[in-house]
Amino acid sequence: MNSLVDNLSNCTVTTHDRVVSPSNQNFFQLLVTIESGHLKNNGGLIKPHPYVELNVDDFKRHKTEVIKNTYQPKWNEEFTVLVTPYSILHYRVLDYYKFQKDVLIAEKSISLYDILSNYNGVCDNLELTIDLMRARHNDHLATSSSATNNLVKVGELVTILNGFQIDMSQVSNPPREPSTSTNHQIGLSNGYFSYGVRVRNRNATANASPPILLTDSNISNNHTNNALTNNILTNNRSPPTSAVQSSPAEGTITIHHQNGPVTLPIDEPLPAGWEMRFDAFGRQYYVDHNTKSTSWERPQPLPAGWELRRDNRGRIYYVDHNTRTTTWQRPNSERLQHYQHWQGERAHVVQQGNQRFLYPQHAVGTGSGPNNRQSATGASTTNPVLDEEDRMGKLPNGWEKRVQPDGRCYFVNHKSRITQWEDPRTQGTELVIDNSDLPTGWEVRKTTDGIRYFVDHNTHTTTFEDPRNVPSIHCLSGPYGVPAAYERSFRWKLSQFRYLCQSNAISSHIKITVSRQTLFEDSYHQIMRSAAYEMRKRLYIVFRGEEGLDYGGVSREWFFLLSHEVLNPMYCLFEYANKNNYSLQINPASYVNPDHLLYFKFIGRFIAMALYHGRFIYSGFTMPFYKRMLNKKLTMKDIESIDPEFYNSLVWVRDNNLEESDIEMFFGVDFEVLGQVVHHELIENGDKVQVTDANKDEYIRLMTEWRMTRGIEEQTQALLDGFNEVVALEWLKYFDERELELMLCGMQEIDVEDWQQHTIYRHYNRTSKQINWFWQFVKQADNEKRARLLQFVTGTCRVPVGGFAELMGSNGAQRFCIEKVGKETWLPRSHTCFNRLDLPPYKSYDQLVEKLNYAIEETEGFAQE
Amino acid sequence: MAATRRLQKELADIRDSGLKSFRDIQVDETNILAWQGLILPENPPYNKGAFRIEINFPAEYPFKPPKINFKTKIYHPNIDEKGQVCLPIISAENWKPATKADQVIQALIALVNDPEPEHPLRAELAEEYLKDRKKFFKNAEDYAKKFGEKRPSD
Repeated sequence: MNSLVDNLSNCTVTTHDRVVSPSNQNFFQLLVTIESGHLKNNGGLIKPHPYVELNVDDFKRHKTEVIKNTYQPKWNEEFTVLVTPYSILHYRVLDYYKFQKDVLIAEKSISLYDILSNYNGVCDNLELTIDLMRARHNDHLATSSSATNNLVKVGELVTILNGFQIDMSQVSNPPREPSTSTNHQIGLSNGYFSYGVRVRNRNATANASPPILLTDSNISNNHTNNALTNNILTNNRSPPTSAVQSSPAEGTITIHHQNGPVTLPIDEPLPAGWEMRFDAFGRQYYVDHNTKSTSWERPQPLPAGWELRRDNRGRIYYVDHNTRTTTWQRPNSERLQHYQHWQGERAHVVQQGNQRFLYPQHAVGTGSGPNNRQSATGASTTNPVLDEEDRMGKLPNGWEKRVQPDGRCYFVNHKSRITQWEDPRTQGTELVIDNSDLPTGWEVRKTTDGIRYFVDHNTHTTTFEDPRNVPSIHCLSGPYGVPAAYERSFRWKLSQFRYLCQSNAISSHIKITVSRQTLFEDSYHQIMRSAAYEMRKRLYIVFRGEEGLDYGGVSREWFFLLSHEVLNPMYCLFEYANKNNYSLQINPASYVNPDHLLYFKFIGRFIAMALYHGRFIYSGFTMPFYKRMLNKKLTMKDIESIDPEFYNSLVWVRDNNLEESDIEMFFGVDFEVLGQVVHHELIENGDKVQVTDANKDEYIRLMTEWRMTRGIEEQTQALLDGFNEVVALEWLKYFDERELELMLCGMQEIDVEDWQQHTIYRHYNRTSKQINWFWQFVKQADNEKRARLLQFVTGTCRVPVGGFAELMGSNGAQRFCIEKVGKETWLPRSHTCFNRLDLPPYKSYDQLVEKLNYAIEETEGFAQE
Repeated sequence: MAATRRLQKELADIRDSGLKSFRDIQVDETNILAWQGLILPENPPYNKGAFRIEINFPAEYPFKPPKINFKTKIYHPNIDEKGQVCLPIISAENWKPATKADQVIQALIALVNDPEPEHPLRAELAEEYLKDRKKFFKNAEDYAKKFGEKRPSD
């Protein structure tokens, strides 16, 4: 057996010779369970006899039993191994042969350090699902270690790490490999390190911890270091301004050149520029001379691999050598956690992008209403695809759709004799200004931004709306004209918006070339250095090194990736509202980035482009933010979704007698941003005006206004300015905030089974008749209605990546909840921060449907209240 | 500023009232948002020591509730090892802007005196409290003697 094993290891890639630094020679016990595998059926007639070999740092070898004749082996064997925090667990799945050398099915190396750093040093029942990779068309891995992108997934291995715990503050960054083996290491880092490993904690309840995905970006950088290394880093510390206990030398964080390890002193000195002092009561506090602020809390030292630097204007910023990124805001554990969460989403981003849509994939058919009316007006009802397309309205005049022999559609503009792949109804057209069929007295003009508008010389007025637009409404709605109810239909509004986009299209195209690594910066520079109106040209997105024609797929990916990038917590531009991980709001602390207003302008342009070109972004904004885009008045109820505590207090002020309660409040308010308290007087000399029952309505109004704008007004304005340059905000006036979210984020297919399964009830139970009616209603609703119902209850149409089990509220995991509240005459209400629907005990199915529909559609405040 | 004015008044009221069970109140002149004080519970086993707490008021007080932390280690089912305490009166759902710091402190003292094992932060202590009251008392008393501060004599 031994010789067999030796033979085996000879035919594999020689794994790295790991240098374990002497100070880390302490070994710890780790329990490794090799549970099961799922191997792809490679089409062969004979099933494999798989077993697993586990090598720790290449010298301790453990093997499981051979399981015969299966693609789904279950080993369930536990091994106790000795490890250091930097150990590499090398899993090899082999196929046992009785009379010849066993064949390697696949292998994978896991860096324990990467796991530990993600789980704060604790391996407690951690389940790892490992993608098993193998070189394509090649059974001998040894020859193909460099061709990393030539790897195919051949299966998965489930293994559990248990019973190991270490204080990560005592663990320095992993030692780097000698630079001579760089090429080799890069190969490893992409193919065989922790990329493709999903980790989850089995102890935690399913909804508490979504799996953390280790992506290669946070791992490979441990092994490759070229870009940043030249001008690294003797720490320029600013001397403390007064005599201090902590001498500068103690606080030094050094990062050596090239491959040297990052060393952080173990006794955790104060970070550079910080000083500890005692106040008059002998209490400790901390002075940060860098930012000239004080804090009661001991500052956390910079995490391993981080460095504080100053730019040439003396401003402080932070360099993360792990990811080779910089940020203006001092990293702390919360931010790093956000960052990890954000990074974990990445893998889903593109996949999500392909699942979003605005029009159902298949004709819905059921349900009454205007949508069906148009199919009666002549569009082919026999062909669901055609029917689908006709929902977008007819092609503009002079256009024709043709089909290539291979089935691909293209569009011909007979006026300009140009063909294009993009549907002019979604992508815009190369429209030639055409004055001919305007009503008398009308004229077409363009604004300096190139937006088309119409002058009515009869009435001396101007408008963005095309007076010839009316016929197009007729084609949509049939011979009956435009029924009033129909005007509220989302699809009708969309067709209006699309029409405006088409008619303001600019000829030719704009090419945006980005590289995946520097997506944000590349996009920023190219979008901001062009004139805004150019964003209305046809888009031509190129990912550097992946040259190919953009038929729409590339730009779809670009919108999705870039919109996710914008959320990078390290940019400090946006934050999740109310901790729920769905909706974004502008971060009042964004000013730590001195150029933040330019970035917001850029983002404004970017989201206008998404709407204009009919593309979706990954994560949407809060409902109050959309209302702001639509220039709608924000109400007190809007606060609830972003700050429920504040909202409750306002409600209390409204509903209670202040004279009795001695509340001692004035027309002056404070809030804190980055440790600084900002004071604001709601009215002139407000600090001297007490809130009373007589003036509290005014107080509530002013507080609402202030709460919704504090610290973010300039940023919002910059964003809206950027938006307005590309798409006139005026064009959105038909929509409400929920529709705006649908347009921007698209809809997802909503899994009603999953939804029902993860719903909880209060004062109802699963079998209550109202609950049965509710689910009957949901099942019969189309996707748009379902999305709107979700928006009504949870504040967003988005479902978490992990499904309804992972729905979050303002206090962490919060399932969709239906509570019995009120009387049958009431409308349903919702509490978006708790994902809760208050459903009165209606007497019949029809009544429930009527009330729910009413609440969902007529949401202007009161229905939610 | 907004919080300051009200807190100054509340602080003066508390100092004037001369509470027996909450003493040695320390507030930095430059930062009225951070208070410290000594809790003197009356009930055994906690009457063997004094416990230092810290009350931190947010800038948005009284629109947002204060946070309470124990600086002294205490063996108590509702107070965890980090000194965090779960006090319903200052939870997000229950908080009212009319609630005064004084009421919060009274509620805290009541909780220390009479633990609520039904809503524990430390389940193992709650279990011990319910199943073996004698052992619990002994542990809590030892803790109070070992880590607690000296009770002022007057």
